[in-house]
Amino acid sequence: MDIADFRSQLHAWLDANHEQLAPRYEPPGTLDDHVAQMQRVKSVLYDAGWMQWGWPERVGGRGGSPMLRTELGASIAARDLADPGLFSLLEVLAPTLSDFAPPALAADVVPRLLSGEEIWCQGFSEPATGSDLASLACRAVPDREPETASRWIVTGQKVWTSLAQYSQRCVLLTRTGTTESRHRGITAFFVDMDTPGISVVPLEMLNGVPEFAEVFFDDVVVPADRMLGELNGGWAVAMSILPYERSSCFWQRIAFLYRRLQMVVDAVPESDGAAAIVGDAFVHLHALRARSRATQYRLAAGGTLGAETSIDKVLVATAEQAVYDAARRLLPGAVELDDSAAGEMWRNEYLFSRAATIYGGTSEVQRNVIARRLLDLDAPE
Amino acid sequence: MDPAERALLETTVGDAVANAEPGVPADNVLARLGWREMLAAEPRDATAIVFEALGAAGATASVLDDVVAAALGLQPSEDVAVLFPPFASWEPPGRQDGSRVCATGLATGRVAAGTELLVACGGTDPGLASVPRSAARIAPVRGLDPDGRSYLVEVDHEGAAAPLAPDAWLAAVAAGRRAIAHQIAGACHTMLELARTHAREREQFGRPVARFQAVQHRLADALVAIEALDATLVVAWDEPGPTTAALAKAVAGRTARAVGAQCQQILAGTGFTTEHPFHRFLKRTMTLDGIFGTGDQLTVALGRELLAARRVPTLIEL
Repeated sequence: MDIADFRSQLHAWLDANHEQLAPRYEPPGTLDDHVAQMQRVKSVLYDAGWMQWGWPERVGGRGGSPMLRTELGASIAARDLADPGLFSLLEVLAPTLSDFAPPALAADVVPRLLSGEEIWCQGFSEPATGSDLASLACRAVPDREPETASRWIVTGQKVWTSLAQYSQRCVLLTRTGTTESRHRGITAFFVDMDTPGISVVPLEMLNGVPEFAEVFFDDVVVPADRMLGELNGGWAVAMSILPYERSSCFWQRIAFLYRRLQMVVDAVPESDGAAAIVGDAFVHLHALRARSRATQYRLAAGGTLGAETSIDKVLVATAEQAVYDAARRLLPGAVELDDSAAGEMWRNEYLFSRAATIYGGTSEVQRNVIARRLLDLDAPE
Repeated sequence: MDPAERALLETTVGDAVANAEPGVPADNVLARLGWREMLAAEPRDATAIVFEALGAAGATASVLDDVVAAALGLQPSEDVAVLFPPFASWEPPGRQDGSRVCATGLATGRVAAGTELLVACGGTDPGLASVPRSAARIAPVRGLDPDGRSYLVEVDHEGAAAPLAPDAWLAAVAAGRRAIAHQIAGACHTMLELARTHAREREQFGRPVARFQAVQHRLADALVAIEALDATLVVAWDEPGPTTAALAKAVAGRTARAVGAQCQQILAGTGFTTEHPFHRFLKRTMTLDGIFGTGDQLTVALGRELLAARRVPTLIEL
């Protein structure tokens, strides 16, 4: 399907079905409310056939360019129908199953994620493993020789696991080689969160929202047929997410940031001072959107995305903070004192925006990648 | 133009401009390559390639006159110079005063040799006057960047202007902004390459300074800014209009400032002398920033538009 047709049909449908999709909670809503809203929106979109576009037919999709699902997510974000950070988790979960799970498993579970029946989480980060993902330690041990194992026993801890307390499944990275094997000794599994031995402790962030959790694995039994990709091939699984995270997720985030800047522009009296601040955020957003569009096109044309997406990551973090800095400066007290629903929203989101330069690879790591891989600054003369 | 043709032209123009005799404007070189024909047939590729090449080489040529004349609907010619607005302005430089046309503005080197000067007039009665060169008082500008060959021009001419459609000047400003943004982009690419080369060669504490993370992050920031500008320029042509052109010029202004500052710091003492070419690019981008409005001015103007319309336009879709 042509993306312009898709967009116009989608927007007509979203206009017509606004009542059905609009949030039903009292704003600003709790995390429970936001998660329930996201699942309800997914379910309505799935029943109407929209959620399936852009996903392969082998996992219950309707095919077409992945840009279709990017467009869908961006439209949902631009209308504030679901939190884009939560909604776009699809992009870092479903492709993993679609590309690395045994086909029957993928065909069984991906539709459950798309339809809002299930929530999944991603068990990557650990207390001692932040930017340096290859150092992860959560161990998986086979019940006999690895090649013929029927089950694996997982022990360790994950942290910063989004929505773990709501999740039915987890895409989990484990250490199956020696610690020194780094990225060569990691294996991915698809784990049911109701397996005995898993405990979840939500982490309250500085904005009061427990979006992340610690997840503890204590002799958790995982069937061998839940391995994603190859034994010790978990690094490839983890890296395969990057192109979607850096294209589709970003485009959805960008749509959301335009929406937020629009809210600032709606609320602020005209003045030269306000114009300078609004203009600055707008220029940041436009440059980011221009860059991200080129990235989507490159991916859609079959290009591989790599180190150059670190530029997109730096730009998205910078623009996000510029938008929320603009909100804080132009809506005095909204972040600091306003106890209305609008104030709660600005406060939560402003505080969360400070993490934009931290999650998904810190801005420092991105600059290292840019310097070494794109500018070749580490190479000997 | 297909990608192979474009790449060939890029190389041809880039080499020709870079190899032009130092200190001599590249007009003749570009004319021999068919610049005006290219501009008429393929305005996007012609503008992008020629202005990026000029920026990258730190060269000058009176080609902005052609871009703006064409955008005003006229036939560009080497005899026709254009009067540009004064530094840090984008208003039409002239006004009609009874039966006279009066103007103050900037011009390229073409004004010294050309026979005719185009003067756009603003105010309640927008018009376009063709003024004989003899009616203009011109004075070369030394300023920060004497090699840029700018002239301060004053016009006081007995004669009338032809009517100018209200949108025509906006289109001319947009075309000029796109071209200047390309020239700034070319200069920024060169500044980064100069700093990168220096960082890889210069050794301190027993290793190239490029190995230090503090140095790496500055150059990484410069590349991020340049890539953002390049993407913004693609959009300025894909969705041509006053807003995308103003955005490209605004991004060019902030990119020039960021890249200039980071690269100057990395080039350190070396870049502080006139023996190293860096200073030419720094001065050129500082001067170009003021043509058709500085990046800072455009940022405020864009913010004002958003607040007046109460709308944040997304401008591009997938």
